[in-house]
Amino acid sequence: MEININNRPVQVAEGTTVLEACRSAGIDVPSLCYLKDVSHNASCGVCVVEVKGAKSLLRSCITQVTEGMEISTNSPRAMLARKVNVELLLANHPQDCLICDRNGSCELQELSHALGIKDRRFVRTRKGQLKKDETSLSLVRDPEKCILCGRCVAVCSQMQGVKAIDFSGRGLKSKISTFLDSGLGHVACSNCGQCALVCPTGAITERNSVSEVWSALQDPGKIVLVQTAPAVRVGIGEAMGMPYGSLVTGQMVAGLRRLGFSKVFDTNFAADLTIIEEGNELLHRIKTGGELPMITSCSPGWIKFVEDFYPDLLRHLSTCKSPQQMFGAVAKTYYAEKTGVDPRNIVVVSIMPCTAKKYEAKRPEMDGAFHYWKEKLKLKDEEHFFDVDFSLTTRELARMFSEAGINFSGLPEERFDSPLGESTGAAAIFGATGGVMEAALRTAYELYTGKTLYDVNFTSVRGFQGIKEADVNLNGTVIKVAVAHTLKNAGILLEQIKNGTSPYVFIEVMACPGGCIGGGGQPIPTNAETREKRAASIYYEDDHKVIRKSHENPEIITIYADFFKKPLGEKSHHLLHTHYREREY
Amino acid sequence: METQTNAPVSGEILDKIIEKHRGKPGMLLTTLEEAQEKNPLKYLPGETLAEISKKLKVPYAQVYSVATFYSFFNLKPQGKHSIVVCRGTACHTKGSKALLDDIEKILGIKYTGDDAESSYTTPDNLFTIRTVSCFGQCAQSPVVAIDNVIYSNMNSRKLLKILSNYTLSL
Repeated sequence: MEININNRPVQVAEGTTVLEACRSAGIDVPSLCYLKDVSHNASCGVCVVEVKGAKSLLRSCITQVTEGMEISTNSPRAMLARKVNVELLLANHPQDCLICDRNGSCELQELSHALGIKDRRFVRTRKGQLKKDETSLSLVRDPEKCILCGRCVAVCSQMQGVKAIDFSGRGLKSKISTFLDSGLGHVACSNCGQCALVCPTGAITERNSVSEVWSALQDPGKIVLVQTAPAVRVGIGEAMGMPYGSLVTGQMVAGLRRLGFSKVFDTNFAADLTIIEEGNELLHRIKTGGELPMITSCSPGWIKFVEDFYPDLLRHLSTCKSPQQMFGAVAKTYYAEKTGVDPRNIVVVSIMPCTAKKYEAKRPEMDGAFHYWKEKLKLKDEEHFFDVDFSLTTRELARMFSEAGINFSGLPEERFDSPLGESTGAAAIFGATGGVMEAALRTAYELYTGKTLYDVNFTSVRGFQGIKEADVNLNGTVIKVAVAHTLKNAGILLEQIKNGTSPYVFIEVMACPGGCIGGGGQPIPTNAETREKRAASIYYEDDHKVIRKSHENPEIITIYADFFKKPLGEKSHHLLHTHYREREY
Repeated sequence: METQTNAPVSGEILDKIIEKHRGKPGMLLTTLEEAQEKNPLKYLPGETLAEISKKLKVPYAQVYSVATFYSFFNLKPQGKHSIVVCRGTACHTKGSKALLDDIEKILGIKYTGDDAESSYTTPDNLFTIRTVSCFGQCAQSPVVAIDNVIYSNMNSRKLLKILSNYTLSL
C-alpha cells in the first residue's frame, strides 16, 4: 500500500508498523523501549509521530500503517513531545555518564544528545536511592539507571522463558525486581546476560573483573594464561571500531600479548577436546542404551536453566564440561606438568562472549586441577584454586585494550601459542548455533563408521531458525538430531522429552540467540544484523581451515597420547567431566 | 472452625483456596486476596507468595509484580487495627496532615512515609497507619478510616476520643 511519510510517497506492506515503515524508507524515528522482535511496550513515548486526522500523537512502534496514511515524523509537535518525554526520563536518571559503564554506548545518552537536550528542566521525583543488585556472579543491576523501558523483562520472559525479573511496585515506586527483591543471585536466573545486551542504559551490566586481571598481570610471581572463545574473534573487532563481524583472530592474539599475558591460548583447542569426549559419550550412550537424547553442555546459561526448571532431565545433559572449563583443567594439569610450573602460580583468564561463564567458573565443582594436585603437592585446603580464575566478556577485553591504549586495527596478525593453541574448523563453528552439532557429527561419523567423511558441511543444522532438525546418515544408521537456540526454544525440546515424544538422539542447545555470537557478553549492539555477520565470519574461518575435524587436531592427538590416554578414561573423568544438581529457591 | 495461629497460610489451607479459584479469570488476584485474608496478620509473607507461584505455575517474579502493584496487598505484617488517613486534595486542604501528626503524637510514633503508597506498623503490632490518595468522600473531608469504619469531618478532638477507646481497651 502507499503511505506518505514527511511528504514523500512510500510503498509498504500491509501490517507493517509505522516505525518499521519509516525506518525501511530510510527515515530514522528514534525509539527507546521498542526493540525489534523483542519488546513493544510502547511505554517511553519517544517514537511518537503526527498522523494527519489523528487527534493525538501516535506511538509509531505499535501503530500499523493504513492506506493513504500521512505521517510526519518531524513536525514541531512530534519533535517537542519526543524531547519532553526524554527530558522526563532524565529527571530521575543519575548524572554520572562520565563514569558509567555504558558511557559511549548508552542509548539514552545518545538520544539526549541527538534531541538537543541542553539542561535538566525537571527535578528528581524519586525519594532515596535504589540499591544496586550485586548478588549475581555474572550481572550487576543498578535500578537508579533504569528507565523502566521493560526490554530486559521482555527478553527474559519472551525470548528466554526464564522470567527472573518483572516490574514491581507502582507509580513512582515502579522498578524492575526479582522475586521479593532478593537479587539475581538468589533466584532462578540463567545468567545469560541478554538483559544486559538489550538494556539501553547502564542499568544492567556484567560483573566487571578487569581490575583483578590487571593485578594478576602485574604480579611477577604469576604466569597468566589467556584463552579466547570462538565467538570473541568475530566480536572484539566491532568493539574496537571495526565493521560488524570482522574476523580478527590474529590481531586479537597480538593484542592479548601486548596486554602482558604470558601465553595466548585458544578455547578452540578445548572445543576440539570437547568434541572428542562428547562424540565418544554419544556413541557410548547409543551403544550401551544410555539416556537419550543426549544434549550438549557447552552453554552455562543453558545448564543453569535445566538445573532451575527441569531437574528431572539433568541426566540427558552430556557430562562434558564446557570448553572454558576443560581448558582451565588442562592448563593447570597437563600444561603445568609439561612446563614444570607450579599450578598455584598459574592464573587462567578466559575471554568469553558470555556472562554465564563467570558463574560457571565459580561453581564449586570446577576445581578439578586442585584435586589433581592435592595429593602430589600436599596442598592445604586454604590453597584451593579454581580451574579458571577470571572470566571476562568480549566487552571487558575491549575495555582492557582501550585502557592500555592499544591501536587494535593496526596490530599485526599473530598466532596462538602451543600446545593449547591449535584448533580445527570444527572448533571455530562452536560459536554459532548448530556449530557444536556439526562439529560433533564430523567426528561421530568417522568414529562410528570408521570411514572418512569427505563432505564435512552439515548445512541443515546451520542458520538462525529457532529449532532445526536433521536426519544424519551414519553409514546406514539414521539418527535424528535437533538444534535449538534461545532458552525458550530449548524449553520446547525439553517438554518433548518430558512427554516422551522426543524423536531425537542428540540435541544441541545454546542459551543465546544465534549461539555464542549473540552471547550476553558480546559488544553492543548485538542484534539480528550483527549476529548474521558474526556467524558468516565464523563459517568463513571454518571453510579456510586446513583441518576441519576435531579428532585430526595434532595437539589433541598429542594430549591423548601423552596425558589422557583415551577418551572417557580415568583422567578425563576427573578433569573433563562434571555433574549437575537441582537448585531450590 | 479454623484455628487461629500465627502460621502463614500454606499447605492444605492454601490448596483449598487455590482450588476454589482455579481456572477462573484473575485467579492469581483472588488467591492472593484470600491468602492474605486468612493470614492472622493480614499479610502475604514471602513463603506464601512462593507457594502460590509454584502451585499456580505463575513465575515468581510475576507473583511479586502483582502483589506489589496493588496497595491492597500487604507484604509486611499488619497491626491489629488499621488507621487510614486520606491525603487527597480535599482532605489535605481541610487539615489531614495535622491529623496524621496527631496520630503520631497519640501513638508515640514517627510516621515518615507520607506518600500515598506507604504504611507504618507500630512496634507492638497494634496499629498500622496508612495514607490513601482519596476515599471519594471529599464532601465530608477530612476523612479517616479506622478498622474499615469511615469517620467523616474528622478533627483532632474526635480523633483523640476514638483512638483513646482503642488504646484504653488494650
